[in-house]
Parts: sequence; structure tokens; C-alpha cells
Amino acid sequence: MTSPANALHDPQVAPSAQKAVALVTGASSGIGLATARRFAAAGYRVAVNHVDQEAVAEAVAAEIGGRAYWTDVSDPVAVATMVDDIEGELGPIAVAVCNAGIYEERSLAELEDEIWERTIRVHLGGCFHVAREVVPRMRSRGSGSIVTVSSEMAIVGGTKATHYIAAKTAIVGFTRALAREVAPTIRVNALAPGPVDTPLLQERFKVPAYTDTLPLRRIGRPEEIADVILVLAETAWCTGAVWSLNGGVVIQ
Amino acid sequence: MRGDGRVALVTGLPGGIGGASVEALGAAGWAVAPRTDRERELSVDLTHSNDVTELVGLVLGRLGRLDLVVSCPAAFALAPVDVHSVDDWWRVIDANLGGSFRLARATAPHLLTTGGSLVFVSSEWALTGWAGATAYCASMAGLVGLTKALARELAPHVRVNAVAPGIVDSPQLAVDAESAGLSEDEIKRQYAETAPLRRIAAPAEIAATILFLASDDASYYTGQVLSPNGGRTRA
Repeated sequence: MTSPANALHDPQVAPSAQKAVALVTGASSGIGLATARRFAAAGYRVAVNHVDQEAVAEAVAAEIGGRAYWTDVSDPVAVATMVDDIEGELGPIAVAVCNAGIYEERSLAELEDEIWERTIRVHLGGCFHVAREVVPRMRSRGSGSIVTVSSEMAIVGGTKATHYIAAKTAIVGFTRALAREVAPTIRVNALAPGPVDTPLLQERFKVPAYTDTLPLRRIGRPEEIADVILVLAETAWCTGAVWSLNGGVVIQ
Repeated sequence: MRGDGRVALVTGLPGGIGGASVEALGAAGWAVAPRTDRERELSVDLTHSNDVTELVGLVLGRLGRLDLVVSCPAAFALAPVDVHSVDDWWRVIDANLGGSFRLARATAPHLLTTGGSLVFVSSEWALTGWAGATAYCASMAGLVGLTKALARELAPHVRVNAVAPGIVDSPQLAVDAESAGLSEDEIKRQYAETAPLRRIAAPAEIAATILFLASDDASYYTGQVLSPNGGRTRA
């Protein structure tokens, strides 16, 4: 299958040209799952990272010719082992998509230390821990691309999500700093999706009472986000960018 | 701009933006919570929730109310992402972002009572990034997120804003210089060249922005990030 992204750039620098390896964290559901499928369709071998979703992840890996890796990205030691394993079993990682996330709604008053820590460690730690392992490898090979997944809420805020918004905004700062640090060899970009039809999105955002308020009158499909993550990963003249894809939730 | 006896709590290093803010607020008639407790320097680790609760209790016990919180965290490190020790990387995040969160959580009920406001001191590096500063930039961007989240959640009673200063002449620069292996003068000269105004800021210039955001003159500001940075960003 031909990647639509290939039309955008020189195939010489397109990782997809050589059956390259893509790591997608949090790939057993939602945006991560769609992204794993999209990269596989574009010709990548995909490392399907997950936590505690072995049956689903193994099935996805089998479906797309990839391999499942059960690793909590908030644990830096486990991530180091995972990256070693992926490079040994699938080959050099050309693209890392740092997507893993969790979400529990909490008001500020109800936001216990444990939920704050866990949210920051999974979202931001998932980016940092993966980056610190793949950056030296990509640098030594002379190329690489990292995509982080932020959120529209990092741009416009929201309620009962202080921990989530802090984490998603921190990811943007991390992405900008890392993009400067590892240029020109490695590109680092962030995607900030609006409300997407995934298990993480609360039901009240999936009904007409909410969706009718959106300029495009519907929430996004995971596949629509995955399409853009692939393009963002492969667009050779793009780094340090935050691509905002949200059906019009953010017009400012 | 007058404080009229309203009570402010300011965190941060003396001599830096926090110290200048204490001076500016005091001069404008705010009652600023003291940094000492019966001759003893207050030793508060904002990464510990109990310490934060104790600090807030102390301020309320002594001054009776709380109208303004200025969170001015100062943890910093320069190191490439793959060289930086994991523990030190997280030290920066936990101190700057986690500490500010704990301070906001502990003070929000009191600010809701008085209709007060919160000001987070972030950094232009939250917006521009900086090579070798992934932890610091992430923590400072996280403060912008705290600002946007809490501006909505605590509205309409509490206003929440941030400043994202450019390079400021503060004790922080000694840390920067040491991290970068340069003399303090050299790093100041290098930083000054990057701003259209061709100099770094005095802490008082940042404190003036904080004082404005705290004041009644800024009564229609919430969820905003003001950027006194000598023109280094222009968005």
C-alpha cells in the first residue's frame, strides 16, 4: 500500500521506503491502535506497546505483522529493556510515536498525589523515557523521527483535568526543547488532537448535546488522527511543531 | 494597583523574581507572608504535600486570609536528554510543576473564599524550547497548562494567570553558567544578544508584570500568559 505521505517529500528520506520499524506506545486501543495499523499499512514493522492488554495487543500485532511489547512507559528501566528488545527483534526504530496515556476525571480538590504522579509519569514520562533511549540510537544512525501526542486541552484548557492538562502541556514544552536539541538529525513534533472516539473519552462527549456544539458537528475518528501522525512523522521539513487537529474545537 | 492589606504568598528564591515580587507587592500595600518563622528560616519542600499544607496553615494563622499566590519555582538543569540522569530530570519536573500544583491545590479553597488570584511564573522557554533543557521546558510548559486548567476550573471567583519571562538577571544565571561551563558574565552577554532589546531583564521588570496581574487593574484577565521577554517571542 502506498502511503499518501510519500507524495509530500523525497522518498530518499522517507523511513517507510525500507520497511522501517515504528514504535507506537499505548497501541492496544484508541489513537495508538489506529496509528499502529496506519503505520503497518504504510509499510512499517510496528512495535505494539501496551500495558496489561496482552490478548488485544497480540491480536493486533498478528494482524499487522508487528510484535507486541508489554511495558509500562512510566518505568524508565522497563522502557530501556523494551527498546533493546525491539531493536534486536524488529530492527532499528525509525519512528517513535509517544502516545500512551491515561485519564481519570478529578476536580482540583479531589486530585490526590497518587493520581497526579501517575498521570505525569505516564504521559510525560512516556515521552522522556522513550526519547532518552531512542535518541542516541537514531543519532548514531543519522536519522529518526519522534511524534508526541498532546491534546487540544493543552491549548484551551478545561475543567476537572488539571493533571491531564499539565501533563499534555508539559509534553509540548518537552517536544519544543527536544526538537532544538536533536536537530538536524532527528525531528520531533507534537500532535494535539481534539475529542476523539476512544475509550479514554467520557461518554458525555460522544452525544449530540456535545457534538452539535462543535464546528464540524462530530468528534474525530482514531483513524483520522493516525493518518496525520503518519504524515507528521514523515514530513521532512517539520520539527518542533504542534499540529492541531480538532474538528474546529480550537479556533483561536 | 494597591494591595490594601490583602495577603500574598510568594514562593521562590530571594534575589530572583520571587524576591523582587515580594518587594513590589510590599511597596504596593500588600501584606506579604514572611519567609521566616520566629527567627527560623521557613524550610518548606513544595514537593511534599504536608509541607505545603503546613506553610498555608502558617500564613493563615498569622495573617488571617489569603488573596494572592505567586508560584515562582526555580529548579533548573541543563543536560542532553540521553545523558541527563533520570532522577535529576524528574527532580526538575517535580519541584517546578509538582510543587506549583501542590501549592495551588492547598491554597485554592482560601482564594475561593477571598476571590483572590494565582500567578504562575513560567518561562519563555516553555514556548520556545531550549536545547539541553527538556526537563525545565517541560516543567515550565506544564505551568502554562496549570494556568489554563485552573483558570477555567476556579472561575469565576479566582483569576489564574502566568508570566513567561525572558532571561532575567537573577541567582538562576549562576546555575545556568555552571551547567553550561561558562562564566556568569559570558552567559549574560550571550543571553542579552538573543533579545531584540539587547539586554536581559531586571527582576523588578518581571515583578511589575506579576504585580499588574495580581492587581484590580487586571480584573478581566484569566488564563493568560504575559511575556515580558525583551521581544524574544512575538506571538
